[in-house]
Amino acid sequence: MIIFFLGISFILAGGFGALLINEKEKARCLAIFSGIGTFFILVPAIKVLVSGITITSTIKFTYPIGNVSLIIDPLSAFFLSLISIMSFIGIIYSIGYIKPYLHKRMAISSHYFFLSILVISMLLVCIVQNALAFLVVWEIMAISSFFLVIFESEKKEVIHAGINYIINMHIGLFILMVGFLILSINAGNVDFSSFKVLLNTNTSFTNTMFIIFFLGFGVKAGFFPVHTWLPRAHPAAPSHISGMMSGIMIKTGIYGILRILTLINKPSLTLSYFVLMISIISAVYGIIYAIRQNDIKKMLAYCSIENIGIIGIGIGIGMLGLSYNNNIVAIMGFSGSILHILNHSIFKGLLFYGAGFIYQKTHTKNMEHLGGLAKKMPAVSLLFLIGSIAISGLPPFNGFISEFIIYNGMFQSFLVRNPFILVTVIISVASLALVGAMALLCFTKAFSAIFLGNAKNTYTESINDMSPAMLVSMVVLAIFTLLIGLFPQYVFKLLINPVSVLVPSYHFSVESLNFVSTLSTLSWCIMAFIIIAGLIYLIRYLLLKQRSVYQYKTWDCGYQAGNNRMQYTSSSYADPFLSLTKPLVHNEVELTRIEGFFPQEASMKTHNHDVVEIYLLKPAFKGIKSLLNLFSWVQSGDTQLYIFYGLTSLVATLLWIMLAN
Amino acid sequence: MLLAILNILFLLIVPFLFIGIINRTKAFWAGRRGAPVIQPIYDFIKLINKGEVISTTSSYIFKVYPVITYASIIFAGLLIPIISHKSVLDFKLNFILFAYILAFGKFFALIGAMDTGSSFEGIGASREVTFSTIAEPAFFIVIASFVALTGNYSFQDIFLFLQKSNTFVYLITVLSAVTFFIILLVEGSRVPVDDPNTHLELTMIHEVMVLDNSGPDLAFICHGAAIKMTIFAILIANLLLPERIGIIYSSLLLLVIISAISIVIGTIESLVARLRMTHVPQFIFISISVSLIMLSATLLFIYGGAK
Repeated sequence: MIIFFLGISFILAGGFGALLINEKEKARCLAIFSGIGTFFILVPAIKVLVSGITITSTIKFTYPIGNVSLIIDPLSAFFLSLISIMSFIGIIYSIGYIKPYLHKRMAISSHYFFLSILVISMLLVCIVQNALAFLVVWEIMAISSFFLVIFESEKKEVIHAGINYIINMHIGLFILMVGFLILSINAGNVDFSSFKVLLNTNTSFTNTMFIIFFLGFGVKAGFFPVHTWLPRAHPAAPSHISGMMSGIMIKTGIYGILRILTLINKPSLTLSYFVLMISIISAVYGIIYAIRQNDIKKMLAYCSIENIGIIGIGIGIGMLGLSYNNNIVAIMGFSGSILHILNHSIFKGLLFYGAGFIYQKTHTKNMEHLGGLAKKMPAVSLLFLIGSIAISGLPPFNGFISEFIIYNGMFQSFLVRNPFILVTVIISVASLALVGAMALLCFTKAFSAIFLGNAKNTYTESINDMSPAMLVSMVVLAIFTLLIGLFPQYVFKLLINPVSVLVPSYHFSVESLNFVSTLSTLSWCIMAFIIIAGLIYLIRYLLLKQRSVYQYKTWDCGYQAGNNRMQYTSSSYADPFLSLTKPLVHNEVELTRIEGFFPQEASMKTHNHDVVEIYLLKPAFKGIKSLLNLFSWVQSGDTQLYIFYGLTSLVATLLWIMLAN
Repeated sequence: MLLAILNILFLLIVPFLFIGIINRTKAFWAGRRGAPVIQPIYDFIKLINKGEVISTTSSYIFKVYPVITYASIIFAGLLIPIISHKSVLDFKLNFILFAYILAFGKFFALIGAMDTGSSFEGIGASREVTFSTIAEPAFFIVIASFVALTGNYSFQDIFLFLQKSNTFVYLITVLSAVTFFIILLVEGSRVPVDDPNTHLELTMIHEVMVLDNSGPDLAFICHGAAIKMTIFAILIANLLLPERIGIIYSSLLLLVIISAISIVIGTIESLVARLRMTHVPQFIFISISVSLIMLSATLLFIYGGAK
């Protein structure tokens, strides 16, 4: 534990150091310190992750908080390693990304300071076991990330997104406060371990508490219907921050849900169905909206909702296994979802960093204005392609592995002979397949709109120079995706300890041993596939070696006046599919039709709105506002009146105390 | 080992005949004599021996995508049981790898088509991706019902179990064969989803995606498309095959069923008009409905005591 705090203090020192030194060195300073810090944090984390022991410690505080017990169990250790490594890579990336902003002197100082605070608060969230202290670090995490989101604070939409974000976070915080208050009043203690008895006595109480916590943590994680901050905050933030927020910060919400689950011995069936249902809706909803977006970062933000949904499906399957005492289903569900947490943070980071590079070089995030970048920046296009394939859940990359494990959990649950489970699980199987297919649509669209075809704009800036820091961080992530995809059996073995926190009776059972061998067969098969593809490519190469291969313009079916604007754009590519989803979305179209024989002007504008925002949140907030307006006369702005209020309430309190005695 | 080699040979050669028989059937209905059944082999050899023209717009994606798509389809073929009810690569949950590796090939086919910057190929790609997205859940519902019904976890075991089973299972196998057949028509881009004989505006799906490919690349694409259709035909055949009847009889029967399927496809293509593009999704939704009926039948079988 001391080594862990040494690591934390190094990161903090990096943050303070960044306040003091020259702008150009700030990023590097934090990178070096957080590198050392990450190393020190990984020492205990990896030890716990591999051996499965639990490190505990207590910090003694006085009155309001009391003694804070800290714990590094394998589940925390998994999140600690994830957060420390991914934020280190994010900081490395930011060395290159921040360069064009170096003139914003003060902003950069505070940016790096709050970045270090964010990393520390995320790390602390994963080890604190005291409800009050947990809420405090949770709030620090929200505030520091708020300051990171509004880095480009001179833009109006950035401030708007930032305020939207902070309000959402506080709604989540209030829900969590309610939950923790109910628990700690009933338990008479704020320690997590003391909630355990409480959460295992009355089923309906447990269910209500879990749903409250799921909602509170769900705001952070981005579950439907409390996801609306994601597609606003992610595009507003600088790319390394979006990558880190989407990759690791929203995962602290998942951590919270999993931590509450560890306190419940056996979740009821209702809860499992609830989680499964919400997750399926999140996944489908997220990916449909992702397909509709033309802003790269907005698309990635909606895609995060989809992936949170997939993680949730895994958790739901795991809970289903727990409630039916079927260990292997529980193990597979939780393993799949925990692996997907890791996978998502890897490929989502990769994609956001790629998007950041594109934004830096072309100054646009709109896919409709891009195109043809594959020839201008082949390295980035290849990295983005790897991320796209991985996020679509396709082999040989890592996204496939976690979905494969979740599928396995689903198919294993058929052994529980129960028609309701069978139908529910088959629906989940079909939805997961559908979500995968839609993700393929979404990312073929994004990749081809950004990188393929002809450029729809001319790029003035030289595009080739890529800062080595950015390239290195992206290459490292790409290698991670490939390694997990090729050697899933070793990764699955690493997941044993974190999963055994959630499934207490998980000894390395025969079924999971069998599954390790299945995974190694899978990895051989995937390698065989790569070899087959290589052989065919070799044949093609040998065939064409001595023949004429010449270049000519694209065949245009005899039409000789084709130009770049006639290409299929991203919205036209997605249109046939989106026209099928019309009932689910709200599309506002402003259309000036062409009229007469010689039409002059025509225009079309479309606005994509989130259905939840339009039909759920707006009316709800309107209602709250009109309710609160009834009390607006209380606030007259008159100082004398306010003093009168204060006096009256003091007297009233005095009277109440006297009467009570 | 010998069986594996036979399987691979079957997988590579039969698709030519599959296409040949379809074309012959269409010629029969049109009153022509038609090309010989092995004409697709000649076409393949002709294309393999040519050079290539590559679009100036395209990037490295265009050069690798036919190979990757072709490899993914061949690899998917290794996962299904062919001769003597055995697949080359048999392991638990191999049907998931089957679906996902085909999707991987499709990913590259789509971005390869978009790489040329042609508006025609864009149309093809966007329609192809829409239709195959809708068809995806049907396959998984069928497979999941099979797993629930048989308690087995790989293509080979599932089909062996089904082939041994009693009469009520026939209902389920027939329903799943219908689903697979619709998926075959979608994935193989055949009438009524798409007309493979034209690549004009009316029917722009698969054929239009490959407008810019030539030489060996086009040979790979055409052969790959034929293998993909044959794979689904083999899946249907596996549903209909009787229990072990010896390697020779079963492979002959397999050939007969596959030829019958290709004759059916050719007949449909000659007698039915292609659907209007807006009606194609409705046709594909039929596959989902049929798979749901099959799921209900499965539930009835497991829990309703219909044995």
